[in-house]
Amino acid sequence: MKKSRNVFLFFILLLIVIGIVSIMIGSYHMSFHDILQTFLGKGDKLQEFTIYQSRLPRIMLAVLVGSALGVSGSILQSITRNPLAEPGVIGINAGAALFVVLWISASSSAYYSELPFAKVIFIPFIAMIGSLVSMLMIYLLANKKGLQPMRLLLCGIGVNAGIQAIITFYQLNMSKGDYNQVLTWTNGSLWGSSWQYVLLILPIIVILIFIAMMRSRILDVLGLGDELALSVGVAVKKERVFFFVLSTLLAAVATSVAGNIAFLALLGPQIAKKLVTNQYRYLIPLSAIISAIILLVADLFAKNLFSPIEIPVGIMVSILGVPYFLYLMLNRK
Amino acid sequence: MSIEVKDLQVAYGDHAVIPCASLNIPKGKVTMFIGKNGCGKSTLLKAIARILPVSKGQVFLEGQPMKQISQKEIAKKIAILPQSPIVPEGISVQKLVSYGRFPYQKPFSGLCQQDYDIITWAMKKTGVYEWKDQKVEALSGGQRQRVWIALALAQKTDILLLDEPTTYLDIAHQLEILELLKQLNKEEKVTIVTVIHELNHAIKFGDHIIGMKEGQILFEGSPKEVIHQENLRHLYDIEATLIQSEKGSYPICIDYTLLKETK
Repeated sequence: MKKSRNVFLFFILLLIVIGIVSIMIGSYHMSFHDILQTFLGKGDKLQEFTIYQSRLPRIMLAVLVGSALGVSGSILQSITRNPLAEPGVIGINAGAALFVVLWISASSSAYYSELPFAKVIFIPFIAMIGSLVSMLMIYLLANKKGLQPMRLLLCGIGVNAGIQAIITFYQLNMSKGDYNQVLTWTNGSLWGSSWQYVLLILPIIVILIFIAMMRSRILDVLGLGDELALSVGVAVKKERVFFFVLSTLLAAVATSVAGNIAFLALLGPQIAKKLVTNQYRYLIPLSAIISAIILLVADLFAKNLFSPIEIPVGIMVSILGVPYFLYLMLNRK
Repeated sequence: MSIEVKDLQVAYGDHAVIPCASLNIPKGKVTMFIGKNGCGKSTLLKAIARILPVSKGQVFLEGQPMKQISQKEIAKKIAILPQSPIVPEGISVQKLVSYGRFPYQKPFSGLCQQDYDIITWAMKKTGVYEWKDQKVEALSGGQRQRVWIALALAQKTDILLLDEPTTYLDIAHQLEILELLKQLNKEEKVTIVTVIHELNHAIKFGDHIIGMKEGQILFEGSPKEVIHQENLRHLYDIEATLIQSEKGSYPICIDYTLLKETK
């Protein structure tokens, strides 16, 4: 118990520190003093703009998206009883990507041209619908007297492979400008970093995580096997469908504004699992915090490493996260 | 009667494992299901506990059809210990036992003092209290089985169903588990129902024995009534040599040979 609390305090502090560092570093550098002054209303126009209109919404978005993916992965790993499960693996992100690709290529723009603004603004909604279509497909394929964990995973992997093939097919026929746009999107980028998007997804993600927390004990009991879970009164079939929907909704919301950030939903929960006891009351929030930290750090590097060129943050997550992940896995007691 | 099974049919797909079974499980007794592998005894046990769906027929709990009772209410009346439950990584004995309180908990409310008292009681009763802070995965098979029984006990049910609780255990630990079940039956008035393979254990510890073959109930009654050469020949296709126990209260099977004409 006490150990868990210390772990939490440490990671919350770390998140805050990285948040502050993210405000400081960028094409326009700010000192800690500048930030403090700006927050107190004594900063100049440029500082205010940088913090409130550029960096803060982006940080908020990274934290929200990271949290959503962390919790989504944590739940999915629980109901499939498979540590490799994450929404990307079962095609939730691919569904979003496909719809975005179809949307962009629907009325193809000229070579190299930028996408019209009217098109861009709908992308989150299109992505969301794509994720939900994926979810529905997996559900219809996998549901046979309830969602069997292995069946759910295999159907998801099948759906993912099928959708990826269609995406590739479309991408081959795209104009250069569209293609770049799609490529950035499918590799994950926090492009939707404006207050509108933040305010749109904030309540959804908070509510979904709250529901997950409220029912976390059911996830604990499901870990004892279906039969024992039934014995203590859990309606296993119903609950598994419920958590599957909850998990995919979280992933869908995250994907809608941040594109396809692979691996994060696997990474965060697995690291959390190594740090606290195997109870979802702790695992859910810690997965959220750790995933948020990883995404924030990855974004910091993605933005600044080759500035002004920005690397898709999804790629950065893999570059930064994988070594740490491997280190953790290989150092198991 | 605590549990009454009426014209029950259980099927996997099109194959009816149990075509039609009716039986009574007496209250406050130890009931033992015996029979060959694949005879449907585990299936029947799971169907009674609502782990497997029933295709036809009914199960009555204290005269009330089980279909009418909610999952959580049933969990307060019947606990079942499956053959191979999963031990979550890194879980302590006390934590695992505490999951037995699940049917009594509401969202967000943690365990109350009464829950903790019951968890402690369940651990003491099964003799696992001294390991309460240890990791379950570090325990031996016999110790682990006691922890699972403690979990079921923490559910505070009148009826405890166990699917082969002694399989994979050595003879001493088998006896230990059966003694424990007998003790729970005597002291806590828990109705015990188990599936068991070891014939002499069934006879020695069971008050009521149900023999099953190919999905049918072959016989049902006290060990003295139903355990004789004729029934065993039908049940297992074996020729058994039986003697009476010292006090003459139950038969003991001292030798058996497989009948040749059956394949």
